[in-house]
Amino acid sequence: MTTRGRRSRWGAAALTLTLALAACSDDDGGEGADPTSEDGTGGETEDSTGITLVQEGSALAAIQERGSVRCGTRDALPGFAVLTPDGDHVGFDADFCRVIAAAILGDAEAVEFVDLATEARFTALQSGEIDVLVRNTTWTAGRDGSEGATFLQPTFYDGQGMMVAADSPYQTVADMDGATVCVAAGTTTEGNVASEFSRLGITPTEVLSFPEPELIQDAFIAGRCDGWSSDVSQLTGLRSEFPDGPEALRILEDVFSKEPLAPAVADGDTELAQAVEWAIFATIQAEEFGIDSTNIAEFAESEDPLIRTFLGTAEEGGTFDPGLGLPPDYAVQVITQVGNYAEIFEEHLAPLGLDRGLNTLWSEGGLLYAPPYR
Amino acid sequence: MSTAPMSPATWVRHNLFRNRRDAITTVIAAVVVGWVVFQTLRFVFGTARWEVVRANLTLFLVGRYPADEQWRIVAVLIAAAAVAGLVTGVLTKRRRRAAIADDAPLPPLPFARRLGLIGARYWPALVLLLVLLLLARTSTPWVVAGAVIVAAVVGRLVGGALPPKVGIVLYALPVVLPFVALPFLTGPLGWDDWGGMMLTILLATVSMIACFPLGLLLALGRRSTLPALRGLSIGVIEFFRGVPLVALVLMSDVGLGFFFPRDALPGRVVRVTIAFTIFTAAYVAEIVRGGLQSVPRGQTEAAQALGLPPVRMMALVVLPQALRNVIPALVGQFISLFKDTTLVFIIGFLDVLSVADNVIQQPDFRGQGLFAESLVFAAALFWVGAYTLSRESQRIERRLGVGSR
Repeated sequence: MTTRGRRSRWGAAALTLTLALAACSDDDGGEGADPTSEDGTGGETEDSTGITLVQEGSALAAIQERGSVRCGTRDALPGFAVLTPDGDHVGFDADFCRVIAAAILGDAEAVEFVDLATEARFTALQSGEIDVLVRNTTWTAGRDGSEGATFLQPTFYDGQGMMVAADSPYQTVADMDGATVCVAAGTTTEGNVASEFSRLGITPTEVLSFPEPELIQDAFIAGRCDGWSSDVSQLTGLRSEFPDGPEALRILEDVFSKEPLAPAVADGDTELAQAVEWAIFATIQAEEFGIDSTNIAEFAESEDPLIRTFLGTAEEGGTFDPGLGLPPDYAVQVITQVGNYAEIFEEHLAPLGLDRGLNTLWSEGGLLYAPPYR
Repeated sequence: MSTAPMSPATWVRHNLFRNRRDAITTVIAAVVVGWVVFQTLRFVFGTARWEVVRANLTLFLVGRYPADEQWRIVAVLIAAAAVAGLVTGVLTKRRRRAAIADDAPLPPLPFARRLGLIGARYWPALVLLLVLLLLARTSTPWVVAGAVIVAAVVGRLVGGALPPKVGIVLYALPVVLPFVALPFLTGPLGWDDWGGMMLTILLATVSMIACFPLGLLLALGRRSTLPALRGLSIGVIEFFRGVPLVALVLMSDVGLGFFFPRDALPGRVVRVTIAFTIFTAAYVAEIVRGGLQSVPRGQTEAAQALGLPPVRMMALVVLPQALRNVIPALVGQFISLFKDTTLVFIIGFLDVLSVADNVIQQPDFRGQGLFAESLVFAAALFWVGAYTLSRESQRIERRLGVGSR
């Protein structure tokens, strides 16, 4: 599961306090957390019909004024974000922060990364400490509804799976009646295992939870676990670095929970939500058009009207501005400075041994589908 | 020591094997200690893979401070060493003069003996420095360490050669230095890129220095006869002592955004430093109040009899005695603060503990179970700091004769 709950002890007390505060601030309406309401710089955009939409103190305007995007990530999630010895933030989530910065500000490096513990992530979003949360976070109804977060287009569709020893007799989860399953503590993984087993009408002997993946690995090697359950993206990574080699393990076909990992912005700010959402769509749309960071120059003179619109190429009637508050060439900035979806995936998640799976284009049977840009 | 020196064999028999029960205890303790020491040494020099620390040494020490600005840190270190040397030189000279005036001149110590004293006083920091230098991959840290030592020695020699009148002006230097050094270190970057040990030391020292006067005022306020002042002091002390520190940290970072516009607030590091300062000040206030209560009433009465006005009575008679009595508790509070700064990991600051936690997930190191290495290294950094604080406080206590007069 995507929630690393190792620090729940520390955060529980603090959260009680801040959540109470969050509840209070809800009474004041959404404007309470607006960073720029004092100096009166409202976001101002003109849509194609000429109607001026003014939103007092929009977070998007604040980002543009500040010149950087505050992006909440977690620097200890291999593949999604890690801190290199040089102090750079590298990974799939980190790159989507850059995508957002490239789209809004035209500069992929204009990101202030805020490393967030699991417990602090939604509070940081609600309080305006971060603009966007791109932190390996599963979009659920509860979080959408009661954490003050608006979830946007998922960047990665994950799901919980089961890993077993290659020479074990289990072919599906349904075979695992009476098996011992090991999971990471403090996540919803444990509950998902229990509900999947009861749905299948079987019972595990025991569900053992461990605070660290390394400890599960030790327990697995020692033969204490028959199955090892976590998100497939996690399992793939863990399998690739298994001491006896990845061949010693097998990930079952069953995926028994839906874990759409999606970025989120604070509730009540449609402008920023739209900008972030279309920044992500741009990476998907670019892949669909076959545009990547290496060949984008070839598309500058493209005759395809859809591509011309998408890249903001100048037309006789001026460039197309859908009124999203993004510069007309935002897609070009995203693709040249960061890349399209396929490039980001190949750079960060493929090395973990992950297949595209559900995360392929709709035209190839996946779930990645960007609404038309017109 | 009143006992006469005894031979090692006698000492062992006397202290370790006096009777059968002592002998059994000694053997068991020796086995346990031996096993722990053996395991530790085996880990440190054998099984541990220190590459994860080595590759990330910069992150551990200065976090994400940009490489092309790190000369600023070097400059501040050299300046601090020179000032420390200078002040030590002046102080030593003054002490010598005072001793001559008292007809008890201090014989100059031979150089080797002096080195030995410095070694005995700062050995944990020196060992750590050596470890850091050995872990370093380039020669730059060696050059920097050399320059810092040279600066300290030169400062010491200059300080010893200066005429005593200039010396008084020099006392201003260590006070002024932080006010020059901090903006210089922050430079064009702001506070928020600080990380690693540098951030920990910044948070701890600034809070330690700032919380003391605040705590003192709160303590005096709580003993005041003015109801408003007393009520306010009690309110502040009891509120901040009653709230968990982690809640204050979280509150100062993300919570304030609920009440004030985000961009009207000071930077994140500043806010958290203020939280640490106020929290510690509340504890310091109660420690100081305990000290004030320990000063016998007769002292106050004697000062009043001498006709001292209240402020001077407090500053010259009561406080010096009160503070002397509470040095151990104060230093304990400071050490606790030093370690509590690790709580900033919850708001995503890149302090030593966050670095230790994050680096083991790097592609080169993940899945290898390297927490032991990175956490042991982080613990060593903290232990050296805390132990040095503790030793220095004991030195001050001995100087002031706490517990012996």
